[in-house]
Amino acid sequence: MQITRQTYSEQELVLSLKQKDETAFSYLYDNYAAALNGVIYGMVNDFATSEDILQEAFLKIWNNIDSYDETKGKLYTWMRRITNNLTLDTIKSKQHRQQGKVVDNELAVAHVQGANNINERLNSLDLQKKLDTLDKKQRVILDMSYFQGYTQEEIAKELDMPVGTVKTRIRTAIIELRKILN
Amino acid sequence: MEVNDIISSGLLELYVLGKTTEQETEQVLTWKALHPEVAAELLAIEDSLEQLDFAKAVTPSMDTKKNLFAAIKQTNIADNTRVEQAIVTPINNTIAPVKSINNNYKYVAAASVALLIGSLLFNMITYSKYDKVNDALAAAEQKIATNNEGIAALQQQLDVPLNNNAQAVVLKSTPKAPLNSNATAKIFWIKNTNEVYVEPGGLPEVPKGFQYQLWAIVDGKPVDGGMIIYNKNKKYNIQKMKSFGKAQAFAITLEKEGGSPSPNMEKLYVMSTI
Repeated sequence: MQITRQTYSEQELVLSLKQKDETAFSYLYDNYAAALNGVIYGMVNDFATSEDILQEAFLKIWNNIDSYDETKGKLYTWMRRITNNLTLDTIKSKQHRQQGKVVDNELAVAHVQGANNINERLNSLDLQKKLDTLDKKQRVILDMSYFQGYTQEEIAKELDMPVGTVKTRIRTAIIELRKILN
Repeated sequence: MEVNDIISSGLLELYVLGKTTEQETEQVLTWKALHPEVAAELLAIEDSLEQLDFAKAVTPSMDTKKNLFAAIKQTNIADNTRVEQAIVTPINNTIAPVKSINNNYKYVAAASVALLIGSLLFNMITYSKYDKVNDALAAAEQKIATNNEGIAALQQQLDVPLNNNAQAVVLKSTPKAPLNSNATAKIFWIKNTNEVYVEPGGLPEVPKGFQYQLWAIVDGKPVDGGMIIYNKNKKYNIQKMKSFGKAQAFAITLEKEGGSPSPNMEKLYVMSTI
């Protein structure tokens, strides 16, 4: 599969995708697959499972592109939501949440060390350092809500705090994150 | 709600993460449409999370893309098939449904009426047949009973000539018998019991108001032997008569109905000595 050379503005991309343009879809995949795969991997901690879910997620994106509403948010946010929900469904059906974490942690380390994309690795390591500067409480909440797909109610229950507190913690964490990223 | 309050509520982050309820989502979208600041804040949150994802990206294997595009080609084929089906189905549905339902209904109604009429006719025919058969059966039973009686009577009559003790006496025509009548009669005299039977089949037809009477000649005098029941249709009609201790001759005369104390010698048709 060739890497798509053509570049699109987000509007162009969405329009082409809604016309079922496979070149546009190839471009979409090339640009966002790794990011979305990272989201899935962060939740399932298993490369094979992660790629299976990724493929399914992109199929869903392709088949449901007509339901994407630009007024509700960015294309990536919509794609991420689909991916996140699909991953949660898979986890719930296969109970990966328990198994995956234990079994695949070593694999995860191996993968990060052996990553052939230097930028990705640098980004990961760089980011890891930056994330370390986040307050531990904020990090846990960001991790749970963002990377592990917990709902705010689940976090509240897990960390034994009111839902309102979860909301403010997530808010603070993302504000901090934005500072770090900028 | 003030814009600042909206922004600091934490709902915008949850919305971007896809963790808001339907109601909260509607609320956020309303805020977004109303306040450019909210829209800008949402975009900033989206961007930062997207950046975070890119920072944590994990490049999938090349096979994943290959498999994905193969799967898409398959769904496209499936979609086309579905479209073809989808075109055909509504045409069928829009053209005919009301008519076809009505027709079916009519057919069903007509069929059920036809079935009902058919059933009634069948019942009537069956009942009339049943009636006829019943009548025929009763008639047949009656006939069988009659026949059985006849058979029993015949059997009884047959027993007479077959009896080893029976002495058969043939009464022959006399000059008093009607001309060319060739009148005859038979007597069966059962010797051990003295029973006397007559078979009058050979006698001329009985005129209305008259009856044959049997006589035995005992010691030169005629003794009444009883009235003979004459049935011109039943030639073979052996019947039991009165018994005599002894007799030298038998004779049959034509008498007035009910019989006479003494024989009408002018109408003595048949006789025989023993």
